[in-house]
Amino acid sequence: MSGPTATAIASAVRGGSLSARAAVQASLDTIAATEPQVNACTAVLAERALQRADLIDADPRRTGMKLAGVPFAVKNLFDVAGIATLAGSKIERDSPPARRDAVLIRRLEAEGAVLVGALNMDEYAYGFTTENSHYGACHNPHDLARISGGSSGGSAAAVAAGQVPLTLGSDTNGSIRVPASLCGVFGLKPTYSRLPRSGSYPFVASLDHLGPFARSVADLALAYDAMQGPDSDDPACAQRDIEGTADQLERGAGGLRVAVLGGWFRDQTMAEALTAVDRVAQALGTTRRVEWPEVERARAAAFIISCGEGGALHLDDLRSRAQDFDPHTRDRFLANALMPAAWVVRAQRLRHWFARRVAQAFETVDVLIAPATPCTAPLIGTDWIEIAGQRLPARASMGLLTQPISCIGLPVVTVPLWGCNPDAPHLPIGVQIIAAPWREDLCLRVAAALEEMGVCGAPVATLK
Amino acid sequence: MDPKPYIDAAAATLGLQITPEQRPGVTLFFTLAANMAELLNGMPLTPADESGNVFVPVSPDLGEGAP
Repeated sequence: MSGPTATAIASAVRGGSLSARAAVQASLDTIAATEPQVNACTAVLAERALQRADLIDADPRRTGMKLAGVPFAVKNLFDVAGIATLAGSKIERDSPPARRDAVLIRRLEAEGAVLVGALNMDEYAYGFTTENSHYGACHNPHDLARISGGSSGGSAAAVAAGQVPLTLGSDTNGSIRVPASLCGVFGLKPTYSRLPRSGSYPFVASLDHLGPFARSVADLALAYDAMQGPDSDDPACAQRDIEGTADQLERGAGGLRVAVLGGWFRDQTMAEALTAVDRVAQALGTTRRVEWPEVERARAAAFIISCGEGGALHLDDLRSRAQDFDPHTRDRFLANALMPAAWVVRAQRLRHWFARRVAQAFETVDVLIAPATPCTAPLIGTDWIEIAGQRLPARASMGLLTQPISCIGLPVVTVPLWGCNPDAPHLPIGVQIIAAPWREDLCLRVAAALEEMGVCGAPVATLK
Repeated sequence: MDPKPYIDAAAATLGLQITPEQRPGVTLFFTLAANMAELLNGMPLTPADESGNVFVPVSPDLGEGAP
């Protein structure tokens, strides 16, 4: 079952065969029908969305809008004018309503897209499961007993359930790539600092990225292109011009040097993750293997930077109202607030060392592939999993394969494969398509080629 | 390494109260971080290996009034 893509909706609205109101109403109807089982949304903005849709329908400029009438939703750490930015917390319910939309929402709406809702997430983006104690667990649309992944679980689940064709999320250590993998949708984590984070609730400023989820690669590219460009309110945002990718997709993967990431990225996996990567490698005709040095230490660096910055960010609330944090995050934030500065500074130094070594590796290869998660989605409530003979905490281990990559800000498209786990063939698992900084175009080209070959895809779930 | 003396001292310094209910979790997660830090400390770095964080100076917005 395939739902309408953003590309198809926008084309129909531009051409006049579909009204923006009808597109938005269909999205609202699907949300109403699926939300009791999925729990992806924390706010549905029906009145705002329908008013906005009517404006687009009345606007003669809609024939030039790239996202005309496309309903979309955002992780609830994005500012939405008129409502408090929850960031998955109970504490932020006390915050004043946001005065304006986050810059990425404004950029998508400038191209005709219509915001319809805010989405469930792990509290303060600190988790890989979206088992949120305040707002309930977000259920995986492809198997409702299983986690959606996190922390942008609602963003992936809303797309997988067909509620909207496009969502936004954030990724600090894997929070776009993990839920994309477990919910079977496409996700783009751009290069660190490529998209402005202005008007979003931070987690770890040194590592926070924002990016889109969609059911097609073309939709990812369409949204990404609409969101590019610097913004002075995000001090980390790169001063780079827009580099369009949507018109590059047809170039495919031909001529690109592709290799499989070895070492850590093969060792910290279950069989289904290796099956997925090997299928992608075969489709791309590569047997080449590349190994990066000190990957485990790079993951440790991302871990410590996250602890130090995340803990410090919430210090005031940890002092005054620690009991109001989600039990899944509270003790971790308390421990994180105690990080010695020497550890955090060393982690930042090692991060730079690692980035330089990986840059050298990219001198001889254009695109690397690796699993996005060690396994398919565990059942909700799973505490422990076994990987490579080791018993590991399930929630933290979902990011084993994503953290070393976001640590150095590389762009990644996650593509979903199916039938890789013989015990649960209905479950997807994602593969990361990784390129050198600023080469989102290469990630997207390879992902589009794989989609065209039928290696990956993102069908709407039937909710079982 | 026994993390407990450090946890107690750092929490007191920062004004954090760690309740008996929170203590096992805090100790577990701090120990996990300490293990990660041990990995970092096991990697030789030179003074030339600087931080990946780069501060960008902020210019005033003088507009037409710039000299």
